Amino acid sequence: MSQTPLNLYVVDDDEAVRRSLGMLFLSRGYSVQIFESGEAFLAAKQLDHQGCVVLDFRLDGMNGLEVLKEMRLRLSSLVVIFLSGHGDIPAAVNAVQNGAFGWLEKPCNHDLLLQKVQQALEHATQLALLKTEKDQALARWLKLTPREKEVARLVADGKTSKVIARELVSIESRTVETHRANAFSKLGFSNSNELDRFLRHNDL
Amino acid sequence: MLLFSIAVCLVLWAGQWAANRASQTQADAIHRAIDINALGLRAEIAKYSALPYSATLQPDVINALSQDGVMFRQRVNLYLEDVNQRVGSDAFYVMDLKGLTIAASNWQSPKTFIGQNYANRPYFINALKGETGLFFGIGQTTAIPGLFIATPAHQNGKIIGVVVIKVSLRDIESAWSDFNAPIMVSDANGIFFLGSVSAWKYQANRALEKDALEWLLRHKQYGERKVFSQVAWSVEHLKVNSGYLIQTQLDEKTQRYLAFDQELPELGWKLTVMGDYKPILWARVTTLILGTLGMGLLIFVALYWQLREKRLTDQSNARQELEVRVKERTHELNESLAFQKAMENSLLVGMRARDLEGRIIYVNTAFCEMTGFSSSTLIGCLPPYPYWDQDDLTRHWNESKTVLSGNAALEGFESRIKHLDGQDVQTMVYTAPLIDATGKHKGWMSSVVDISEQKKYETKQRLLDAQLQHSARLASMGEMATTLAHELNQPLMALTSYASAARAFAEQNNQSLLISSLQEITIQSQRSADIVRRIRGFVKPLTTGVELCHINALVNNVLSLLQPEIKRNQATVISKLAEILPAVSGDRVLLEQVILNLIVNSLQAMQSKSNEDRLITIETLMIDQSIHVRVSDCGTGISADVAENMFAPFFTTKTDGLGLGLNICRTIIESHHGELSFENRVNDISKGAIFSIKLPAQI
Repeated sequence: MSQTPLNLYVVDDDEAVRRSLGMLFLSRGYSVQIFESGEAFLAAKQLDHQGCVVLDFRLDGMNGLEVLKEMRLRLSSLVVIFLSGHGDIPAAVNAVQNGAFGWLEKPCNHDLLLQKVQQALEHATQLALLKTEKDQALARWLKLTPREKEVARLVADGKTSKVIARELVSIESRTVETHRANAFSKLGFSNSNELDRFLRHNDL
Repeated sequence: MLLFSIAVCLVLWAGQWAANRASQTQADAIHRAIDINALGLRAEIAKYSALPYSATLQPDVINALSQDGVMFRQRVNLYLEDVNQRVGSDAFYVMDLKGLTIAASNWQSPKTFIGQNYANRPYFINALKGETGLFFGIGQTTAIPGLFIATPAHQNGKIIGVVVIKVSLRDIESAWSDFNAPIMVSDANGIFFLGSVSAWKYQANRALEKDALEWLLRHKQYGERKVFSQVAWSVEHLKVNSGYLIQTQLDEKTQRYLAFDQELPELGWKLTVMGDYKPILWARVTTLILGTLGMGLLIFVALYWQLREKRLTDQSNARQELEVRVKERTHELNESLAFQKAMENSLLVGMRARDLEGRIIYVNTAFCEMTGFSSSTLIGCLPPYPYWDQDDLTRHWNESKTVLSGNAALEGFESRIKHLDGQDVQTMVYTAPLIDATGKHKGWMSSVVDISEQKKYETKQRLLDAQLQHSARLASMGEMATTLAHELNQPLMALTSYASAARAFAEQNNQSLLISSLQEITIQSQRSADIVRRIRGFVKPLTTGVELCHINALVNNVLSLLQPEIKRNQATVISKLAEILPAVSGDRVLLEQVILNLIVNSLQAMQSKSNEDRLITIETLMIDQSIHVRVSDCGTGISADVAENMFAPFFTTKTDGLGLGLNICRTIIESHHGELSFENRVNDISKGAIFSIKLPAQI
């Protein structure tokens, strides 16, 4: 299974902060890209990548929360860690509720930051894997003909060929058997339990 | 009206009652007359009715009636004549069975009955039947009316003839005519044949039946008379006593009679006795007149009484009304007095009136309370007054003299007096001349206001203002601290990161990056130090002391303090500071506070503007020994109603503002003997407000 390379981004309007963070991640062997504003980050079309963003909360222009919301709107699967000044607890709660992975207060312990970034990247990897799996499952599923999909759903429900033939009216039990065999072959399953799990797991 | 109706009814009733009573009396009289006259009539008839019978007992009469009795007839004639003459009857005669008169008392008269036949007469017919024939009629021979009484003469039980006596009843009739009202006798047919009114004789009191008339004619009861008209009268039957009222024309006069009938059955007659109705009428009329008079009198008295009552009531009402009005007026007066009293008592201002010599003639409650002395103690006092401060008599004398000479200041003067309990009372005294009703100047009226509390309050207020400024500075510092802390976080964050990176690079032996990191660390450390210095400058100890301050330095300090805030608001600040300025004397922190406040206000005023328009200009300049600081913004400016309340405490246009900022600013500037003012920028391209601080320069 091929794995998409993970990305690490830093968005902060304070030059010293973003450059120091860049230097920190570089020193730990991460490949890192830095942005001076939320707008610049959103414009860079990195959103469909897998990875992690360290996002300053108090940004000039769009603030961190606005950037996060925009990312969610654009269905980005990037994991977000917020950095903020002292005393923004309500904003932090709000951010986490909006799907932020973590929240760190400036100035933060660099070990804690690195640890959190590592966790976020692992989480991103999980997400990427899941996404890959789902994409592959979907690709297989899309190979089925409409009739085969119909039969496969009923098979996953645990129904016999005779019952399925009766429900679908126009076809015979033998034809159902054929569709079933084709579906199993295309999806790579040998029994209906596997099929049921596959459908559930991939929200099909 | 009702009363009148009742009176009329009463009078009418009384009239009727009197009439009834009179008619009852009359009726009684008539009944008595009836009894007497009936008796008289019966007695008269009875007197004669025995005579024919006694004659039948005479042998001569019997003999004369028997066969061959002619020889006895003369003797009978003589006898009859004798008796007739003695008893005074009209005629006395004997008839045989055929009705032929064979002997009579008037045998000598040319109109003798002898030889006359009266067989048609009812008395004869009745007598032949063996009864006593009783009949009133007009004599067929004499044409004189009279009562015929006939008795049969018997011989051996057989009727052989009839003896008849005729009585005129003239005596009775003439006795009746003396009576003041008619007395009449009518027969079975209702024909009056006897009575005091000759006009009514042979007239019927009712319509005659045909049979009766025929009978009358046949028996010639009333001679040759053939017509029996009805009596000309009108009859009104009364309800009581079977009496009736008669109205008729007699002797060419209208007469009214009350009449009663009495049947005389043994005679077959009816006796009618009348009484004059006039007394009854008179009784009614008299009663009516008397009653009317009486009633009139009564009504008059009643009316008079009513009038009198009304007058009395009116008088009483008027008196009561007067009393009520007097009461009301008294009440009003009392209320007004009470009002005045309450007003005087409720006044917090002490009132004191003095005559021209300075003698106290009036004090109110407030004045008494102010001094602690009662009004009785104070009134009549001449200076020195008991509430004067013994240690400061000269001042009091001077004040008093000034007032009494009419030179007191119109705006009043402050005067400290001594309360009875020894406490000092600060007062404000206002004096006006006291002019009486005639316009004469009588003395002086002073109102004395206790301003001790006000003085205390003013002192307290000064302290309070200072405290308020202090707290405002603290609050503002808190706000600043948050901003500064955030600003400090940035280099600290960078420092941490660079340090951590440097260590890693050192371990990795990456020299170039290590050096780069260490250089960055130096820069960020310097940056942190700058920030900390700014904070320390602002949070310097709360000195209220006065020092020489350089305004430009203050402005720069404030600007560097506000830099993050200015950046956050994306505003641009242009400083136009005069190159050489004298110092000002004052509290550096407070003055910085004012400048800071004005800049923050300007930032907030421009929030609705686009970023490039957010421009603040700060100028410092020297004009006429004064140093000016001007803060201009490009905001919305200040509207008229906002301008009016600009420096009022707790006035704010901000949703989260306390409304104390500008108020405190002005207080601070004024405590530095300066002025804080504002104006709108109207002559410029961009609108907005300008706040100016003017402070005296220290040269």
